[in-house]
Amino acid sequence: MIKLPVMRGMMLLVATLLMAPVPASAIEKYSDPAAVNRRIEQLRQANSQLVRVQKMAVTPGGREMLMIEIGSRGTSVPAVLVGANMTGLSPVATEAALDLASRIVRDANMHSDLTWYIIPVGNPDAYARYFVKPLWSDAGNARPFNDDTDDQTDEDGYNDLDGNGIITQMRVKAHDGMWVPVDGEPRLMRRADATKGEKGIYKLYTEGIDDDGDGQYNEDVPGGTNININFPHLFKNFGRRSGLYPGSEPESAALLKFAFAHPEIAMMISFGQTNYLLSPPQGGRKGSMDTENIRVPREIGTAMGIDVSRTYTMAEIIEIVQPMMPPGMQADESIIASFLGLGAVVNPLPEDMAFYTAISADYKEYLKKKGVTAERFDPAQPEDGAFEMWAYYHLGLPVFTMDFWGLPKPKEEKKESSGITAESLGKMTSEEFLALGEEKIAAFLKESGAPAQFTAQSLMGMVKGGQMKPEQMAAMMKRMPAPKADEKKGDPKETAQLAFSDTWLAEKGFTPWKSYKHPTLGEVEIGGFTPFSDNTPPVSMVDSLLDMQLPFISDLVKKLPKIAIAEVKATEKGGGVYQVEAWIANEGFLPFPTAMGKRNKAPAPAILTIEGDGMEVLSGTKRTPVNDLGGMKSARYVWLVRTTKKGALTLKLESKQAGNDSERINIGG
Amino acid sequence: MERKKVFLISVLAVMAVMLTQAQEVKVPLRFDYYYSYEKMNEALKALNTAYPAFTKLEEVGRCEEGRALMALTINNPKTGEPFSKTGVYVDGNIHGNEIQAGEVCLYLANRLLTNYGKIAEITEVVDRNVFYIIPVVNVDGRAHFFADANTPSTNRGLRIPIDDDRDGLYDEDGPDDIDGDGSITNMRIRDTLGRLKSDPSDPRLMISVKPGEKGEWTRLGQEGIDNDGDGLVNEDGEGYVDGNRNWGFNWNPNYVQRGAGNYPFEGTGIKAIAEWMLARPNIILVFAFHNNGGMYLRGPSFKAAGELPQGDISVYDYLGLNMEKIVPGYEYLISWKDLYATYGDFTDFTNNLVGSYSLVGELYQPETETYDGTLKRTSEERSRFGEASESERQRLLFDDNVNQGELFREWKTHKHPLYGDIEIGGWTKMSSRLPHPFMLQDLVHRNASSVIFAARQTPEVTMDVFEVKKVGGDLWSVRVRLVNKGAIPSVTYQTIKNKLYPIDKLSVAGSSAKVVAGGVLTDAWMNLVNYKEFRPEVQMCQVPGFGKIEYQFLVSGKGDIEIKYESRKAGSISKTVALK
Repeated sequence: MIKLPVMRGMMLLVATLLMAPVPASAIEKYSDPAAVNRRIEQLRQANSQLVRVQKMAVTPGGREMLMIEIGSRGTSVPAVLVGANMTGLSPVATEAALDLASRIVRDANMHSDLTWYIIPVGNPDAYARYFVKPLWSDAGNARPFNDDTDDQTDEDGYNDLDGNGIITQMRVKAHDGMWVPVDGEPRLMRRADATKGEKGIYKLYTEGIDDDGDGQYNEDVPGGTNININFPHLFKNFGRRSGLYPGSEPESAALLKFAFAHPEIAMMISFGQTNYLLSPPQGGRKGSMDTENIRVPREIGTAMGIDVSRTYTMAEIIEIVQPMMPPGMQADESIIASFLGLGAVVNPLPEDMAFYTAISADYKEYLKKKGVTAERFDPAQPEDGAFEMWAYYHLGLPVFTMDFWGLPKPKEEKKESSGITAESLGKMTSEEFLALGEEKIAAFLKESGAPAQFTAQSLMGMVKGGQMKPEQMAAMMKRMPAPKADEKKGDPKETAQLAFSDTWLAEKGFTPWKSYKHPTLGEVEIGGFTPFSDNTPPVSMVDSLLDMQLPFISDLVKKLPKIAIAEVKATEKGGGVYQVEAWIANEGFLPFPTAMGKRNKAPAPAILTIEGDGMEVLSGTKRTPVNDLGGMKSARYVWLVRTTKKGALTLKLESKQAGNDSERINIGG
Repeated sequence: MERKKVFLISVLAVMAVMLTQAQEVKVPLRFDYYYSYEKMNEALKALNTAYPAFTKLEEVGRCEEGRALMALTINNPKTGEPFSKTGVYVDGNIHGNEIQAGEVCLYLANRLLTNYGKIAEITEVVDRNVFYIIPVVNVDGRAHFFADANTPSTNRGLRIPIDDDRDGLYDEDGPDDIDGDGSITNMRIRDTLGRLKSDPSDPRLMISVKPGEKGEWTRLGQEGIDNDGDGLVNEDGEGYVDGNRNWGFNWNPNYVQRGAGNYPFEGTGIKAIAEWMLARPNIILVFAFHNNGGMYLRGPSFKAAGELPQGDISVYDYLGLNMEKIVPGYEYLISWKDLYATYGDFTDFTNNLVGSYSLVGELYQPETETYDGTLKRTSEERSRFGEASESERQRLLFDDNVNQGELFREWKTHKHPLYGDIEIGGWTKMSSRLPHPFMLQDLVHRNASSVIFAARQTPEVTMDVFEVKKVGGDLWSVRVRLVNKGAIPSVTYQTIKNKLYPIDKLSVAGSSAKVVAGGVLTDAWMNLVNYKEFRPEVQMCQVPGFGKIEYQFLVSGKGDIEIKYESRKAGSISKTVALK
């Protein structure tokens, strides 16, 4: 059964984009996978010096998944990997990837010292369905999959009973119905609330018949694996459309292999259903280790000779373990995590959240400057096993995602409101918070659906007493489920979707309910939302959406870490002994590597080598890994060398991801 | 003195040749020596040549260095095609150094083939099952274990280079065979300030000095030099991606578990085997042999997986407790609980994604190398690191007097480029985790017998249409019983829980008949039936181990009806009965 994905995220309260109703668009229609590949080939032919095309995989449906490689310096410079439309459900993501490719080709600043690997359609099989009738939405590729594990495969798909070319829904009056029409908008449905004395009227089905006579409707729709959730981080075993194992599909397997074969990839950008620029990755998953409160398992603790009844910080454990390590081996977070069996990291690390939050603020500022002030629904967070999660958690890359368009939030008659948001709360001092007064705070708590035990009074007491800071409160608020909207008005997102259809799609986004004689269900009504109408803007809006948002990518890549030798100095100590010191600077905004990259040791460190004729290194190493340079930070490296004659000493810094540098200095004599 | 040394070296050299080299490979195969990778392939070829009708030898894929990964399929074509039978999969040596696992697989093949038609139980188990045997999974590892100097534990992983010391160079500073004896042993240096001294009861061993006592030795680690001149010795050896942490079920990255590799199925041979197995959906029983410790392990491999369904535990218990008796001293244990948690290991993959009962055999108990006639578990007297234990003294005596000192290299002085005068000595690569070849025959026979015992428990389903009764008019009651003689059910309970694949199908069809109702007959006397509302002519089912399941169909019509049982793993049966 397919229900249009329902987003229940908090409404975004900051100014974000709506579409600008600019009519003339160069894009006349979305390109199907074959047309995408033709456009890729045209781009290559027109720019054969700069553009190469790689065939990454052939899908189970026999389609070619292509990658556009742009740049003239290949693997000798850092690279950005762009993956688009991994679900096959995001037409605008594919257009964006193709548009980005032509922008990069046109702009020497974008390709002179960067290589780009762009995959416009990560899930060609699923995407192909967007272009055939009847229209339905399924992220599975063309691998046959027996959803209901009966004796037939793909035998009970949807049926376009009303012949309108769109798979919508069926509503049927039934004794065990759970749905009733929304008050004031009978086109929409909501769940009846038995606790309020309501009885359900309708059962909802997707449009179709029981093709295999097993009593179920559309329970084995053609569609295999959703490429977007076939990646190894938090992969869901036996999940719907998740595939047999991470990388079980040619599309995803090709990406796993490619990414690790290309250590120069320094950033990943994904175009699809999430938008880290508007909604940075969220924490709050259970199971993540807390590096401030680590519990040491009894057996290990006993062997280490430490008290296992208390918890330790990561720094404390490193201190305890370091003397036990074999010579030359550094006890780091990665080793400790694996040694103590702390398990996988499931939430973005706090150090990395710092850059996500900062860049998100930049982006919102950038949009404001572009004149985007309308509100839209909060973008989704990634699903388990998603492409963008893998790139951060396993490749250790900074990952940015864009969805380009979301349903505009309908204008509501303004209610009296506290004017406080979780975000504004987070920036307040305790004094400012208390100054709001009890009435405003109480209103804010009510709006945000805070549990009853948190009264304005109790909170103010805690803030006064210093047990709680506004910042902590804001963090708690963000983790809380969104306040329930007025339930009788139905799902706010569906209301918005309907309003958008009525205003912008000439009502084509919703098929009005119409009665139909169903072979087994009897009298039914068929109607409901058109698939894709919640995430796909009309083609006429695409150009302006991309014009507005894609240029930010050039700002993003300017933030890549860039390491350099800032200064080299030699001091004579006597007896031919010199102290050599070098400052290595990260001139970029982003850290090298991310905190997650450090944890998983995923990007290779930069290597700092020191060489000189007739020179002997007395302390320090000839090849020093450099792998902990925060954005805009510098680190000092020191050696003692001995030389008997005058000569040059060369320091070389080499990193596939963050650039190369070298310096010579004369010593001796 | 000098002459004695020369003599000793030549004796050792001859013995090394006897251990690893050999002899023409002939069927029946011999098991008094270890087969190199090449010899192993020759042996498989010899079995294939001797039994062309029963065996198929094929290349499953290639490992990182291009060596072929070979599988031997044993099937009696006269009793049916492979997919019409239950599949028993056996492999070994996924860790390159754990070589006797390969011999167990080879012995199993040799035992089954050379005794078919001679021993009734072997004939029966071959006729009823198809055996898929991959003796060596880590073919690169086995080849290097034989060819290169190693410790008993090195060359375990896949040949995927890893930059252990993160200096931008890969595998540039592994151990070195300084004394040229084909083994990587240990280095020690005389040091009055050292924390170790010779064990008074056996000076070949070292013990810690007591506070205030004068020391004699400092350990310098494994034999080796500082190959890359970075001030560290042996800090970046070969690998390490562990073939048994690279499978696609509950795989976790390196910081969670060392040796994971970059992503599941990064190993080319590992991926090839996974695909090969998934193309053989009839596999219901899996054995993977390792060394060492003397254990049979079942899953799950990690705690968070939760316990297996009770139905599966009963099957494992039945097999495990019997196997403990077949191989005295071996213990039947639960992987995560009794050993340690692993992620992305092979048997979790086969248990969950192939839908098979899966067991790991940890071959060989070093405790059997005792000189006081008792078999001691090391767990009873496990010593602290750096301390010589009683069992080690026993093992030395055993080696002195039973192996004539073959497996322990006496400490000898050498010049080390960095440390100067040092001593090199210790257990050689063919020691510690491998039985001496004279004990190999016993090990391979008993463990192959465990496999044969389990293979005799694969599902053997029979169908009995035990009632065709007229209810009235043209309505008939047809009762069908499916009986399984084996301990293993036709579908694992885990498969049902995971909805891994469509389970067995029981169907009724007739050209002049229609199934009106049908379902599981829960009580034949009280006529209690769980009727299935839709498509009653098709029932998805499992036949439990040592058990039965009964169905009742109400059929309207006349003439013949065909009752069919179809199973991925337990074969197919069809019966035709007449409604009369």
